[in-house]
Amino acid sequence: MAVCVAVIAKENYPLYIRSIPTENELKFHYMVHTSLDVVDEKISAMGKALVDQRELYLGLLYPTEDYKVYGYVTNSKVKFVMVVDSSNTALRDNEIRSMFRKLHNSYTDVMCNPFYNPGDRIQSRWTKRMLRVLASSGHS
Amino acid sequence: MSRQANRGTESKKMSSELFTLTYGALVTQLCKDYENDEDVNKQLDKMGYNIGVRLIEDFLARSNVGRCHDFLETADVIAKVAFKMYLGITPSITNWSPAGDEFSLILENNPLVDFVELPDNHSSLIYSNLLCGVLRGALEMIRKPRCTADT
Repeated sequence: MAVCVAVIAKENYPLYIRSIPTENELKFHYMVHTSLDVVDEKISAMGKALVDQRELYLGLLYPTEDYKVYGYVTNSKVKFVMVVDSSNTALRDNEIRSMFRKLHNSYTDVMCNPFYNPGDRIQSRWTKRMLRVLASSGHS
Repeated sequence: MSRQANRGTESKKMSSELFTLTYGALVTQLCKDYENDEDVNKQLDKMGYNIGVRLIEDFLARSNVGRCHDFLETADVIAKVAFKMYLGITPSITNWSPAGDEFSLILENNPLVDFVELPDNHSSLIYSNLLCGVLRGALEMIRKPRCTADT
């Protein structure tokens, strides 16, 4: 089950970040922030020649003893980071991929809202509901 | 509009997302220009009216419906023929007034409002007011002068 979901803009500031256990939120914010370095490393490691073939899903960024952090980058350099409980071993790679795909779809829907300015914090009610569903359905 | 003589009821397909995004951009630009929801509603209604007075000619040419005998028939034609032809949806007709001169059209999935969420500072904005204007303009041209459109 995903304990934290974050959407990070191209300039590396958070557009949306939400963690499920609401106490100790700062720890997750910090984890997401440090994972951005790993994301940048992975993107640059692909090399300029492979930019077209680069897959959007980055996979496991780094494991800690309690949590695993997964990353996903869109072609517009918007990053999605998901922190998952390590104890939930039943969570398979393709489930994480499908969660990221759902996240990407709901992000594009937010972008299509004419009242949303790109670069603003995401405050849409619909997205909040969607992300809550996403975070709670991680163990399906 | 009818450049080819044998166009008949053929309709061109286009991306509905481009249409939705175009309408959204129009409304947000109006909001920025006028900064007052009431003025934006009025402008949308005026724009819709201008569209409606022209659209009615295209509609009559393409759909070949005859003269409606009563208001009930008019309501049916609007919902089942006109909306279907131009927006691809069929709204439901409800809420007839006791005198039979008012009814409501409920649009279940309005393509104009896909992905749209009104922010709190525009709570009195009537987003689809263009459609009201279109109906007002179209019906006025076929001589229903006391027609008013409401959301």
